[in-house]
Amino acid sequence: MAVIALSTSQSPARRDLSVKTFLPLMAPAIVLALFFAVPMGMMIGISFQSRDAGALTLASYSRFVNDGLVLVGFGRTVVMSGLVAVCVTVLAYPLAYYLARSTSRWRTVVLALAIAPELAGVVLRTYGWLIILDDRGFINSALMWVGVISEPLPLSKNLFGVVVGLTHVILPFGVLSLLTSLQGISPNLERSAQILGASRLAVIRHIVLPLSVPGIISSLLVGFTMAASAYATPALLGGAGFKVMATMVYEQVLFYLDWPFAAVMANVLLILMLGVAFVGSRIESRLNQNLHL
Amino acid sequence: MNRLLAILFKISLAAILAFITLPLLVVIAASVSPTPAVTFRPSDWTLGWYAALWDSRWLDPFLLSVKLAATVSVASGVLGALGAYSVAYAKCPGHTAIMSFLLSPMSVPQIVKGVAIVLFLSSAGLFNLLGTPGLVVAHIVLTLPFVVRMAATAMFNFDKRLDRAARILGAGPAQRIRYVLLPLIRSGLFSGMTFAFILSFNNIPISVFLVKPGQTTLPITVINHLEYSLDPVLAAVNVASLLFILGAILLFEKIGGFSAQFHGGSK
Repeated sequence: MAVIALSTSQSPARRDLSVKTFLPLMAPAIVLALFFAVPMGMMIGISFQSRDAGALTLASYSRFVNDGLVLVGFGRTVVMSGLVAVCVTVLAYPLAYYLARSTSRWRTVVLALAIAPELAGVVLRTYGWLIILDDRGFINSALMWVGVISEPLPLSKNLFGVVVGLTHVILPFGVLSLLTSLQGISPNLERSAQILGASRLAVIRHIVLPLSVPGIISSLLVGFTMAASAYATPALLGGAGFKVMATMVYEQVLFYLDWPFAAVMANVLLILMLGVAFVGSRIESRLNQNLHL
Repeated sequence: MNRLLAILFKISLAAILAFITLPLLVVIAASVSPTPAVTFRPSDWTLGWYAALWDSRWLDPFLLSVKLAATVSVASGVLGALGAYSVAYAKCPGHTAIMSFLLSPMSVPQIVKGVAIVLFLSSAGLFNLLGTPGLVVAHIVLTLPFVVRMAATAMFNFDKRLDRAARILGAGPAQRIRYVLLPLIRSGLFSGMTFAFILSFNNIPISVFLVKPGQTTLPITVINHLEYSLDPVLAAVNVASLLFILGAILLFEKIGGFSAQFHGGSK
């Protein structure tokens, strides 16, 4: 069978057919080329132009490295994304472990609660956190009413508020990446360790955790990259007091109309994400090799 | 020791689930509270904020978002099915490279795609495409890769002997696509289109660059208001749009029947 298939695929009649196989592809390829590839290329080109679209220059790049405010924003983005990645992974792990192992009828409920908020969209959830964390919000007015504090605690418009909001938004993705990994670990390994006398804690520490490292890495990656490029949550929960790359890019495009600089910031964000994803996938593949050897 | 651990594990699970549901409950409570301060006393609850939604302030953006999401979902469905056909079914020459091209927008963050498209439209002098036309193409770029991937997965799993059987029985190419291929990839395609609908309806990071006065989507209208106030009518808008999304998913599921895919995943 394989031989016949091979020989027909090389006959001239078959080659004619292969042109036909391209035809349906034309429509989506043209749309993506025109509205994705060309704009991306233009954005990279614009980043090397001067503001009046004249000469080629590195001015916007040198402004990026020399502007203190911008660098602070970049640093904030990295710190915030790192914290969100860790929080997401720590909170997602118990949920994913429960979902991977449980056979109880509550499993479906927990799964629905863990994943369903994703449908609600970012605005609804961020709005919920605003009501909870605002200066006149839920927590502050309750604490002030009880009399524990006289001034509202700074819960929003800062790093804390943004990290809480983003962790909530990204958590389902962390659960999903950990779940895939945990489901791949045979429960028999845990059972045999327990039969041999290991405590629950020892089983988690010496069996489940080491075997789920690839899942942990991919959850950290998802957390970092999604947080670094999130716009709405930092805009609402961070506000003017906590600007990150995404909100600064937005200002450059719509308020300052500095396109070359906006392009530079978008490029830096893109390089940061691709770099993190690349390093992460290298670590992942190395780990996978070690696990299978 | 093990018992203590099991209890601790359950407590932490409950705490995490509370963390997940708390903001949703707060928004629902706010949407029925009479004053901007959230109240949890059912006797005070009111549906007044929902009545206030029947106003062009909210209806216009809502209708724009619905039309946008529907157009984007259908367009991405058609384009995605065509792309997946070439790549995953007909296996055109260089199909792996072409597949990575079709999926490439996924690895670019949304906000970067948004900047790229708005700079492209502005510097190419296509200012009049800002607003609805720009939103449509940008959302297609956003959602197309997901539809391609889901449709391609369905086509990879397609058993080509069925196609051969239909050919032997005398079915022409059009008939084989209509009666053999399409019914079998339908659920994959529909889940892609549902995903595209939700992604477009809720989108912020791309839309924020492309809206213009009079042509603003619902989520952008809401965040523009949220920057100034915690008006309870916003809670009602959010809950209503969540209900709309759930309804849309049920409708898609009724037409496409894609949930079979999730239940019977290990066929």
